[in-house]
Amino acid sequence: MSPEGRAVQEAMERHGYIAEPSIATAVFLATTLRKPLLVEGEAGVGKTEIAKVLARMLGTELVRLQCYEGLDVNTALYEWNYQRQLLRLRMAEQNGRNPEDLEDLIFGREYLLERPLLRAITRTEGPPVLLIDEVDRADDGFEAFLLEVLSDFQVTIPELGTIRAEHPPYVVLTSNRTREIGDALRRRCLYLYIEHPSLEKEVRIIRWHVPAVSEQLSVQIGRFMHALRERRLSKTPGAAETIDWARALVSLHRDRLDRETLEETLGCILKDPHDIAELGDGERTALVARAQLAEAAAP
Amino acid sequence: MIAGDLVTHLARFARALRSRGVTIGLSDEADAAAALTLVDIGDRAEVRQALLVTLKIRPRDRAVFDELFARLWTDRDSSTAHDRARVEASPRPDGRAAPARLAWGPGASAPERHDAASESETIGYSPEALLRRKPFDECSERELAEMESLLARLAFRLATRRSRRLVPTRGRGLVDLRRSFRRAVGSRGEFVSLARRTRAVDQPRLVVLCDTSGSMDQHTRFLLTFILSLKRTARRTEVFAFNTSLTRLTPWLSAGKIRQTLERLSASVPDWSGGTRIGECLAAFVERYQDELVTPHTVVVILSDGLDRGETAPLVEAMRALRAKARRVIWLNPLLGDPRYRPEARGMAAALPYVDCFAPAHNLESLERLVALVAN
Repeated sequence: MSPEGRAVQEAMERHGYIAEPSIATAVFLATTLRKPLLVEGEAGVGKTEIAKVLARMLGTELVRLQCYEGLDVNTALYEWNYQRQLLRLRMAEQNGRNPEDLEDLIFGREYLLERPLLRAITRTEGPPVLLIDEVDRADDGFEAFLLEVLSDFQVTIPELGTIRAEHPPYVVLTSNRTREIGDALRRRCLYLYIEHPSLEKEVRIIRWHVPAVSEQLSVQIGRFMHALRERRLSKTPGAAETIDWARALVSLHRDRLDRETLEETLGCILKDPHDIAELGDGERTALVARAQLAEAAAP
Repeated sequence: MIAGDLVTHLARFARALRSRGVTIGLSDEADAAAALTLVDIGDRAEVRQALLVTLKIRPRDRAVFDELFARLWTDRDSSTAHDRARVEASPRPDGRAAPARLAWGPGASAPERHDAASESETIGYSPEALLRRKPFDECSERELAEMESLLARLAFRLATRRSRRLVPTRGRGLVDLRRSFRRAVGSRGEFVSLARRTRAVDQPRLVVLCDTSGSMDQHTRFLLTFILSLKRTARRTEVFAFNTSLTRLTPWLSAGKIRQTLERLSASVPDWSGGTRIGECLAAFVERYQDELVTPHTVVVILSDGLDRGETAPLVEAMRALRAKARRVIWLNPLLGDPRYRPEARGMAAALPYVDCFAPAHNLESLERLVALVAN
């Protein structure tokens, strides 16, 4: 691995993200080539976390735009502060001035409410990290608009003119693949597909996030999750679920996995009724047994 | 390795990927070239990751990528070896003789024309009798036209929905502050009239999976008309045919008359009129195309009699995946018009729990009812 790539990996780890080399390489390339990074992967593998850790690494602000169906320019880019505008108009009227003369004033920067995209572009203290979360949930139309913003880092507000980014932000887009992201947007970005972490990484993730967990338990949780993911599930649990589960087990003062503990806490990792029903008695016992193999191995 | 060489290798690698159906643009190659100057060119894992990231390789193309990457890596220093990587996309065997049973179409034979003329007035009555006496194959031109307009309405109903996106409207809706305010400025700060916004009507998105096995033969004419009407109404319609294997038909359906389409299709769909393996075919669809084509707004229409010869487990698995992802799963079964038919065929019974709407589709009347049903 190149020294720069390794440096990124170490920096991410210092800031709380146990990164596989593949993730570090992608982050290194995206920040060096100054291209947006499109991150895809199943829920809970740590897509959003990449943007957060990147902001911490760079010591800058994280600007987050959560996408949803129907997201429009008003919410993503800017909105006028109507209350203030109206007040200004009324005042002018009482002073006997023609409201039309005020147009330039009330459609000025002062009356503009910044939404995430505009905030990311106009930040003066240096480039922020712009997280565009779950971009697959927005409509195709919004995707086209994003494309425009991401290619030039400038936006046009009819009343104000064009605003250009002083410091183009670092951009991270995430997608849960509920729909395919358009080719044009994909082209504009670098692409990272995150898979579930390896056993060794997962154990380290558990220990980092839940320091109170015993060594034995963390290995057992890791093994259990790995064995569980081999199975076909409609909602495969990710690292996020693993961390939740570890926290739950620690709060219950457990230091090893057994059947009873599993029954009590299964809801932390399986969140689909079908999956829970399908995971039969024998299979649960087998999974716990595989996890307990770690007991011998753990010091 | 000098830079020029690297670019040549990269271009060959990209070409090999393209020939295997992976879409890669020139800008992706440029990104990849830039990335290769940054990473440790001697580190296989890092080079692989850099290419994955810059060429935007989706998970489903990973296998092909890795296969070709293995060659790129081992042959990295010999340029001629790369020619091997230029795997040709396997073209469909063209000019394949159409199965004999594919000779339908308006005016294909004299008796058909005669039937159509004499029976055109009885359409719409006694569906039980019509199933045998008057399947779609024997419809007159006028009836076909009627059917097409019905199908167009059906397609529209099936696939349109109100988006959550708001668009300006002159009618009723939510107040659009931005536009209202603009108007008010023009009238001395008075809100004389309010501008409004309402939810937009979304473009239809449909995926049609069509059974072309032998047991569906007598309904082929209907199937094709149905599909072509859908395609006309909803431009974003994807069509697949399945029997023992799955074929993407969309590229063949760009334009043209039913008859030509039929001929084109018979040449391109392997094993037309053969057996069925619904489960395997739907599983193949889920595996290869679901991510790309099925969104939470997509309506999936399956046209099949459910007479499956394969295992039911893959069918159940595939139906569950479709149900979880799509907005609606509709199963149209031409046999359902027959009063003697019960959905007891193993495949059909297994798939039923995952179907939102299970309806007959064998004549005009059933289609009319379907349009009404879908509207609710």
